[in-house]
Amino acid sequence: MKPSVASLYQAVELQQEIPPLLIGERANANGSKKFRELLLADDYQACLKIAVEQEAKGAHVIDLCTAYAGRDELADLTTLVRMCANALKAPLMIDSTTPACIEACLRIYPGRAIVNSINLEDGGVNIRRICRAAKKYGAAVVALTIDAQGMAMTCDDKVRIAKAIHAVAVDECGLRPKDLLFDCLTFTVGSGDETLRDAAVQTLAAIRRIKLELPGCLTVLGLSNISFGLAPQARRILNSVFLHEAVEAGLDAAIVDAAKIVPLARIPASDREICLDLLYNRQIEGEKSPLMRFIDHFSGQQAAGGQEEEDAGKKTEEQLFQKVLNGDKEHLEDLLAILRERFKPIAIINQILVPAMRHVGELFGKGELLLPFVLQSAEVMKASVNLLEPFMDKTEGTAATSILLATVQGDVHDIGKNLVDIILSNNGYKVHNIGIKVPAETIIEKAKELRADLIGLSGLLVKSALVMQDSMPQYREAGLTIPILLGGAALTPKFVAESCVPEYGGPVVYCNDAFAGLKAVQEFEAGTLRSTVFDDATTLRPMKPGIKTSVVDRTNPVPQTPFKGQRYVEDIDPRELFPLINMQALFRGRWGYRRGKMGAREYAELIQDTVQPLYEGLQRRSFEEGWIQPKVSYGYFSCYSEGDALIVEANESTYRFSFPRQAEPPFLCIADYFKTGNEGGDIAGFFIVTIGNRIGEEIARLYQANAYHDYLMLHGFSVELTDALAEYWHGVMRREMGIGGQRPQELHGAITQDYQGSRYGFGYPACPDLEAHKPLFAFLRPEAIGISLTENMQMVPEQTTSAIVAHHPHAKYFAV
Amino acid sequence: MGTSLERYICANCGYIYDPALGDPMNAIAPDTEFADLPEQWVCPMCYAFKDQFDPLD
Repeated sequence: MKPSVASLYQAVELQQEIPPLLIGERANANGSKKFRELLLADDYQACLKIAVEQEAKGAHVIDLCTAYAGRDELADLTTLVRMCANALKAPLMIDSTTPACIEACLRIYPGRAIVNSINLEDGGVNIRRICRAAKKYGAAVVALTIDAQGMAMTCDDKVRIAKAIHAVAVDECGLRPKDLLFDCLTFTVGSGDETLRDAAVQTLAAIRRIKLELPGCLTVLGLSNISFGLAPQARRILNSVFLHEAVEAGLDAAIVDAAKIVPLARIPASDREICLDLLYNRQIEGEKSPLMRFIDHFSGQQAAGGQEEEDAGKKTEEQLFQKVLNGDKEHLEDLLAILRERFKPIAIINQILVPAMRHVGELFGKGELLLPFVLQSAEVMKASVNLLEPFMDKTEGTAATSILLATVQGDVHDIGKNLVDIILSNNGYKVHNIGIKVPAETIIEKAKELRADLIGLSGLLVKSALVMQDSMPQYREAGLTIPILLGGAALTPKFVAESCVPEYGGPVVYCNDAFAGLKAVQEFEAGTLRSTVFDDATTLRPMKPGIKTSVVDRTNPVPQTPFKGQRYVEDIDPRELFPLINMQALFRGRWGYRRGKMGAREYAELIQDTVQPLYEGLQRRSFEEGWIQPKVSYGYFSCYSEGDALIVEANESTYRFSFPRQAEPPFLCIADYFKTGNEGGDIAGFFIVTIGNRIGEEIARLYQANAYHDYLMLHGFSVELTDALAEYWHGVMRREMGIGGQRPQELHGAITQDYQGSRYGFGYPACPDLEAHKPLFAFLRPEAIGISLTENMQMVPEQTTSAIVAHHPHAKYFAV
Repeated sequence: MGTSLERYICANCGYIYDPALGDPMNAIAPDTEFADLPEQWVCPMCYAFKDQFDPLD
């Protein structure tokens, strides 16, 4: 009787009249991204559909593999085997290396299945258990030519291992030769790797010998490995030609994407010849290597894939390095699969990916690569690591230096800390990012629990710098001595060196940006990390710009306002805000598209081809998806100044705003712009504006999805949009007060305050103290439009800003 | 002349330093090239240092 397998519905001969037997490969969590994603979403019905669809495309048997890190393989596989048993006419190939899973599936499968697979990798333990199960339930078995030394590369090794497996499976466990399908493995001829040049030759020779030397046994091959790393269209042709050659050599079955096999008759002779030259490694005197000729040949046929074929000529290591450098995620999975044939995942990370990211960091440091591109590189790194992780032992990589990251208590700002996370974790370090608003007690507890090697603290505002300073003794008293890295806009090397370093026992280091953080971690590893030292002599003392007149004339008239008290406004069209977005600050500042060393023309092209479309896309999407929900609470209130304070009358009570005064000439203070009680009192405007929390949710989603580049872009956009809303509302209030009625003609007028009056943001240089939010919230009551305060007076959502509006003609920006 | 009177823009806030105008807020006289501004000079609008400035065009 001819060897065959069977489903509930039909028997299928393993040796087809027109070989080979086609085994559909798409229902495989490792081989098919689509299938994996459906599985991860627990969508078994859709997984089943992928299995079923292959029947119509010509598959005789369907391979089913659900092994994936983090999934319960036993539950997934038995569930899908049950479903396939009912729905599939084709017999099933149970693809697992776990004996318990195989046994469970054979027990429930109502036909004769094929088990994929056994090998001698563990010296012969699993093979015996699986073969006995196959014998018991009557299954065929795929045997891979792998032993304790690894995958067999040469014909001799493949045959030797096949014979060893035969001895165990047939002689010892009682399987019949016709129950065995030997897969003598194939490796790519598309990588340019010298040692793999004759990979096809070795495999074809092994098939011949196994058919001859192990009579009655069958052969099978995972076909597509032969062409990893080549362009998709060229792969189809090469796979099909190789299949034909393998069948000629005696191949009985092939694991393939049945839909992608091209009948030999439809392949032009010239294509066939070039494929055969590559497969048989035929060098032609005076011509390029067979691989280069193959690439040249097929690149001529398809203009679109130029880059890919160029890549194929390079060594795969270099290709991956380049992908990181270029921020290119295309075909990563294939490339990594090739590299995994030769390297352990941890070696791919440490020897290719991390050096590539180091190089990216160096280019950024030299001003030759802009931040958005660095983030795209980090995305490639992250995606690669995610693809490699399922193949890594759990213990691998735990030796990496670990860093605990947190934004300090009361501070909601995420982005600085997250950029540090992105840069460190994608340079091979272990980062524990424990979020925002984290109290020192929690940071200490986590640092001990996770045995962190360093702590990184972040915080945007002045208040957060003080929180860092105040918590230093707490870290010391908790017995910590590991280095603490500090980062945030309000910090200076002087502050860190003089106010933080003396309060802690270990090194305390000021980090200007994420790359300074990376440098600090590298220094820690080298044993050279030292506390920040402040050198007074070499430090720049910034000039203090501003109006130099110190006498503010307060004989100006008090404007009429349409109302007094507080009002909410929630019907603002987001499109009104777009013209007020400070695009220069957004592009160059927030996004990091600086001109730097670029030529004027090159920069203009970058803006026109990349940045401007990005900006317009964000405008469109944010409008269409309703990310922008502008809301305002504002009002006009009677007031009078009293020294450095402004006394505001609202809700039949008074609120005191204390403003700081400059310590040097011209000694400006915001209170000076308002009349005193004796001068008849004055009127002050206040506002709190927000673009809502929807955009913040979208930003968080992008970060979670490791879309670093888009994350930075949308965050920057949201910040500038919030400022545009403040500028817009300031304009409304100036109009209502009848001062500088018309809007500045262009945005630059707003930047240089080309109008009467000024808005002073709380937390900004003229009034850095956020304590003013306490009285402000008492009478603007922004809780009703979804705005709240943290314990150190920051507003939530982050895309919120507040200001006092002064109508005085001399009122302009200054810093205290 | 040409490049010497090149305008520079603050990447943080968008303020444009125009050498022809100088910077009255910092008592910088007209016709002062960006390169000749003192190292401790800061943006008169947002107080960013010179290294935050980009050539405008």
